[in-house]
Amino acid sequence: MSMRSQVYEWANLAPVGVSSALRRSTADVPKALTAGREYDLFIGGTGNNITKPAETTATQFIVIEDIACSPHLGGAVQIRINTTDYFQNPDVTDQAGIPGLASPYPRGAPSSVDLSAAEPLNSDQLLKSFDLYPDVYVLPGQTFQILYTPETATGVGVAATSTEVVAAFVKYTLYDGPDALIANKLLELGVTINPNNVDWYKRSLIEQQQRSASMAAAAAAANGGQA
Amino acid sequence: MSMRSQVYDWDASRGTAMTVSTSAGKRTSIFIGGVGNNITKPAETSATEFVVIEDIAVTPTLPIGVDAEIATAQRGLTYGVAMGIAGPRAYVQVRINTTDYFLDPDNVPNDGIPGTSSPYPRSIDFQPSFNLYPDVYVLPGQVWDVLVTFFNTQAFATDTAAAGELRCFVKYTLYDGPDALIANKLLEMGISINPGNVDWYKRSLLASQ
Repeated sequence: MSMRSQVYEWANLAPVGVSSALRRSTADVPKALTAGREYDLFIGGTGNNITKPAETTATQFIVIEDIACSPHLGGAVQIRINTTDYFQNPDVTDQAGIPGLASPYPRGAPSSVDLSAAEPLNSDQLLKSFDLYPDVYVLPGQTFQILYTPETATGVGVAATSTEVVAAFVKYTLYDGPDALIANKLLELGVTINPNNVDWYKRSLIEQQQRSASMAAAAAAANGGQA
Repeated sequence: MSMRSQVYDWDASRGTAMTVSTSAGKRTSIFIGGVGNNITKPAETSATEFVVIEDIAVTPTLPIGVDAEIATAQRGLTYGVAMGIAGPRAYVQVRINTTDYFLDPDNVPNDGIPGTSSPYPRSIDFQPSFNLYPDVYVLPGQVWDVLVTFFNTQAFATDTAAAGELRCFVKYTLYDGPDALIANKLLEMGISINPGNVDWYKRSLLASQ
């Protein structure tokens, strides 16, 4: 259980009377979003949240492998490690991140939703144009955020009772304990960190130990049983 | 027959059909939860079995928005106006003995994998974003369970689940007898357990004789 595939899903849904909640509930309703504002999926105070900022302990290593969000409202997702945004413009200025149009959630989602229309969903089914490769590493002791930014606010041009629902998604692998140490070692070696390579490193350690043990046994035999 | 690909398909409408109002927001075991199609006893591995869970999936959900005019199903999923989503907003968690596999980044167990990221069934409208890799190993003697939680009660036409409204799927490989021993050996060696590697280990044993 020291390498685990994990998923976190956020939606602008929370019970009536509060803007965020730690647990999903059957009484959740959509919460309004402001255009251009960054919403932290973990502790942003809107929708489902967690108890504290996402961070790795000294014995954890996280590899973020995919991020995605609802394409409608012009949503985009950004990764922030400590205080540094991962996705930048070519002139090294800030940007909102990967658009939901390029990395839709769910895959196959419509590109737009118009709550004022009789048929609210656009008829298309979006496929992903973006693949998060190379992966993003969160080293031990670092804090990370996933930020969702809608280009358009909810409830624009629709009935007062209508609010769009959006969701965002992050897929990552959590390496814990000895596997986190190996992940650090692979990073030092310049080897990509993935479950296969962690297993490869473990195998190479075992083979090394076996070679050392057999060489020691051979040396002992050559010395007439004297170590 | 010592390495066998297995599938378990659960539908909340089969067997004792699920009552939506009593099951909503609660974790339901797809094996012994008392609703939908169940099996006779908890899923567990014997001393000579090894299970590798390779995929899990559940009915997907589509976020849309609150729109009182929507009266029809959207992309095959019943729309709930209160939550503004189509589909059950369902999640699936794997539990080994008493430990939940999927955690939030604050290390608190969560509801599991959303059906939106791992949909069942897959379609053009709903394709997977999630791949269960590395696989989940159930070692000999362990008890395991797959738990479904849903939150959108309006995704069901009535208070009793109908066919296809909430489904879950588990794909795993069962290694039995000598192959389970080899699987344990591969685990010790830090090698991924899959039929190809089990066969490789058998070939290497034969070659060394």
